[in-house]
Amino acid sequence: MRDFLQILLVGIGDGAVYAMLGLGLVVIYRSTGLLNFAQGEMAMFSTFIVWTMWSLGLPMWLAVLGGMAGGFCVGALVHQVAVRPVGDPHEKPLAVVIVTIGLFLGLNGAAQLIWGTLDRSMPPLFGRGQVTVFGVAVAWQKIGAVIVLGVMVLLFYLLFQHTKLGLAMRAVASNSESASLVGIPVPRLLMLGWGLAAAVGTVAGVFIAPNLGLGTNLMQLTLIFGFAAITLGGFDSLVGAVVGGFVVGALSSVMPRYITIFEKMPLAPAFILILAVLLFRPEGLFGKKQVTRV
Amino acid sequence: MSATVTTGASSRRSPSDWALKVAPWVLLFVILAIVPFQFPSFRVEQICFWMTLAIAACGLNLLTGYNGQISVGHGALFGIGAYTTGILITEFGVPLFGATVASAVVCFAAGILIGLPALRIKGLYLALVTLAVATLFPLFLEQFSAITGGSGGLQITSPQLYRGEMRERPIRLESPVAGLENDQWKYFVFLGITVVIFILSRNLIKSRVGRSLVAVRDNEVAAESSGIPVSQVKIVTFGLSAAIAGIGGSLFALDQGQLYPSSFTIVLSIYILVAVVVGGAASIIGPAIGAVFYGLFSDVIVQQMPDRIQPARAVILGVLLILLMLLAPGGIVGGFRTLQAKWSARRSSAHNSGPSVTGPSATGPEATA
Amino acid sequence: MKKTSIQVSAALLLGFALIGGACGGRDDSSSSESTETTASDSTEAAFIDPAADCTDYKGTQGVTGDTIKIGTVRPESGSYAIYDNVTKGLEAYFKSANAAGGLPAADGKKYQVELIKKNDEYDPAKTPALVKQLVEEDGVFALVGNIGTETNKSVRDYLNENCVPNIALATGSTQWGDANAYPWYISGLPSYATEANAWISYLEEVNPTAKIALLYQDDDFGQSYKAAIEKAIEGTKITLVGEEGFNPLAGSTTEASVAKLSQSGADTFIVGVGGTACPLTLSFVPTTWTPMTMISVTCASKTALALAGGKDQGVYMAQPTLDPADPADQTNPKVVEFATQGAAAGLDEAQIQGGIASVGWGFGSMFAMGLENATTVDRAAVMNALYSLQDTTFGLLRDEVTVNTDGAKDPWAVEGFRIVQRENGAWVEKAPVTNEEGKSNSFAGQ
Repeated sequence: MRDFLQILLVGIGDGAVYAMLGLGLVVIYRSTGLLNFAQGEMAMFSTFIVWTMWSLGLPMWLAVLGGMAGGFCVGALVHQVAVRPVGDPHEKPLAVVIVTIGLFLGLNGAAQLIWGTLDRSMPPLFGRGQVTVFGVAVAWQKIGAVIVLGVMVLLFYLLFQHTKLGLAMRAVASNSESASLVGIPVPRLLMLGWGLAAAVGTVAGVFIAPNLGLGTNLMQLTLIFGFAAITLGGFDSLVGAVVGGFVVGALSSVMPRYITIFEKMPLAPAFILILAVLLFRPEGLFGKKQVTRV
Repeated sequence: MSATVTTGASSRRSPSDWALKVAPWVLLFVILAIVPFQFPSFRVEQICFWMTLAIAACGLNLLTGYNGQISVGHGALFGIGAYTTGILITEFGVPLFGATVASAVVCFAAGILIGLPALRIKGLYLALVTLAVATLFPLFLEQFSAITGGSGGLQITSPQLYRGEMRERPIRLESPVAGLENDQWKYFVFLGITVVIFILSRNLIKSRVGRSLVAVRDNEVAAESSGIPVSQVKIVTFGLSAAIAGIGGSLFALDQGQLYPSSFTIVLSIYILVAVVVGGAASIIGPAIGAVFYGLFSDVIVQQMPDRIQPARAVILGVLLILLMLLAPGGIVGGFRTLQAKWSARRSSAHNSGPSVTGPSATGPEATA
Repeated sequence: MKKTSIQVSAALLLGFALIGGACGGRDDSSSSESTETTASDSTEAAFIDPAADCTDYKGTQGVTGDTIKIGTVRPESGSYAIYDNVTKGLEAYFKSANAAGGLPAADGKKYQVELIKKNDEYDPAKTPALVKQLVEEDGVFALVGNIGTETNKSVRDYLNENCVPNIALATGSTQWGDANAYPWYISGLPSYATEANAWISYLEEVNPTAKIALLYQDDDFGQSYKAAIEKAIEGTKITLVGEEGFNPLAGSTTEASVAKLSQSGADTFIVGVGGTACPLTLSFVPTTWTPMTMISVTCASKTALALAGGKDQGVYMAQPTLDPADPADQTNPKVVEFATQGAAAGLDEAQIQGGIASVGWGFGSMFAMGLENATTVDRAAVMNALYSLQDTTFGLLRDEVTVNTDGAKDPWAVEGFRIVQRENGAWVEKAPVTNEEGKSNSFAGQ
């Protein structure tokens, strides 16, 4: 039982990170209507920015903020230069997929060019200590991830529900044509959405890097976990991303331990989840049901 | 049915027209024929790899270019083909190219299996599912490492006499022709298979079945109402596309003699997609051109750059993909056709006789290769 | 129209192929001065006889004038890039030798070494193309100091078939003990089986009823350890109570595996993983678990252990070499020579003390030894020399370690270890050097 609890708690800690990635994915989906396959690489890139600042002597927390700012710029730039010119994802899905894949490749290569291919080590934001919860040892880092996620969700809530900017972003997400008719600078807000998503992804990367080592393949698996989180939660639901993240995290940690066929495939439960949800309940737990007009 | 006025166009086919059309092919044949004799064997083997990529890209093109179903997971199908061949040869002693046939069958089944849910999952979401499959595939190989050898790799061996003993040694394609070394023989065999596959897919595209693929891509509802069994078409196309990718994978296994999961990551799927897009989606020769381009770029040009700058390869390919989508979605073939159309438009306006005709649409999917 | 065009095309293709075959000559850029087919040693039956064993033998490929071209493949990038330091040591050795006039050979000449390096990122899928390029395009004489077990395995058949030496492999996998089938390979490290045996022998001394938790890399590297441990504990009261495999290329960490092993009730923890995963593993050990920890020789360098976050204190290892970072070893003339000459060749302080570059230095030294003892400057001759070493030493091996080889009967050059424990960045001897001459293959069950 203790064993199970430990595995579960590790999974929930991981799930917080998937939720972070998911939040970014949802923001992009809601604003620009597409699945950003380059989200992981954007996050990895800005995590490297964090590392650079930290290795130059900045305290970790400041480096994280700096990296988030850098990531924000990368996300905004990427949207302006690559995403916006392509067009409507619903009309040209293949073109959009190819562009995001191109971004995936390009960002990956750019990170390797800039920082070389040696794995870096990055210290955990919350140290390597452990605390005993319900009789099991839990790393502070995992608890920290959940706390930071909570803060993030709170900030998102405040942004979207209580600021004019957030209101404008929601308007754009809901109906960008009407929003622009009302005078909202839609392109600028879309750019903002991408920047925000990249910034959020940075935090996810910061939590993953200490264990995995900061390399350019940091996010390749995590991206799928993030997508599983938002598929389950509903592509356009922020709440869904959080709930989905925890569920995916828990499942991906528990199932490989107890079901031998998944032992070396922690990604398998997430994949099955994606498939099942898309087949049987595409809007996920909290998403809005899409009505396709024939 | 493209009804174009071709008054005088075919009857006025001058020798220079014919020569211009045939010359590139002749040149191509010459180059293809002398290549294996001019380069050391490892280069020839590299070119064999490009051919397997071209085959996989041909398969993907069928599905994504002509039938509109997005797959970012063809690397996994390639891998299934490779490992099926490897396992059949090593564990069951299946003859080399017999294993290729088996790989095609297995991958066809796999394609059907993926094609079924793909009926309900479309566009970006299908891309997501196939992305997940491709990411999962190396882990899948790890999980069943008892059969696949896991990260230790699968050595494709057959019993051979070596240093006095029968040992399990890596397979080799022995050249039965004196004067052709093993790698050269392998080159011509692979080339033959590649050409056959491309010709067969060309025939498919030009047939009524091929047109139904495109009809489904362009407007499923309209296709359904005009009598095309959309679901069947989509599923079978997935199966065929997978089978072709599987053949590519099988040849890859025969080329390398050993398989490692690290060769079958998401990056492989991306590079197959690159080959299709750069070459020109929905064109017959596009995938081959794209594969050669990718091969030349990756294995020849990039290798000349200092180690430190080599990751620029990914950056350049990524930027290329984006630029292509924005500026030249038709890839190399599309760009070539546009130039061709402009040139022949200028020529016919220069000739200026009778009704000015432009030939069959130069950028439509029904255009000849 | 379609049919005839296909027939025409096929005919054209065939025609050009025949012409191309007749006219074309392969661009054989490797410069072989002559095709040596005589056996290198005429007095006794040499281990390798190229006349009998090799087709199209190019014994002096890569030797031009007074330069010998050597190739090496290592992970310059990725999570195993820490091993690039080995290559840096190798390079420094050759640079230093070149500066002193070159490596002496039996023909009285001194040869300059030109080292060509390739990066395979520790990925055995990438290695074959690179090695083939080195042999066929760059035309190297031999490979020296190649890194990685799976990577070296992926080219073993190719190199042996083409009779190209692979000298001083930076891996002690038990597979390299099969010198009958693969005589062109000789390892520069001790066999992992002998190393494991040294651990178990020591355990039998200090904790005869030890309960072992084993973390092993799930490839030939880690599986060599696992098999040897299982064999060595047969018939003893030592038991294996937990084992976890780890895939180095999967992008995950050993954290979960360590957590699992910590619950196994073991009092001994054997870390059979390499690269940076090893010190990271040490850092994952929970404070509640205090086993006797043994680490692989590939992990036990200052550079690697610095990544353990202080958790390297108290770990054990079986040590065959001198450690340039250990004050007790720093006065040894071999270490002094390495430090001074290495610095002159461009190694910095961290690399000299790091304990990884010194291993590469040793590989260069092993090659030099082979060249010097060979009867002629020829591939088979060098290999035969390396397979008939008698009471010699190379690199920074500990003074008490003896180096003897004898063809397939004793293909391992290094078979001696002492057991040491880590204390504040230095090593304290717990058991003196034992040389298990000729027994490495038996420890591996071969």
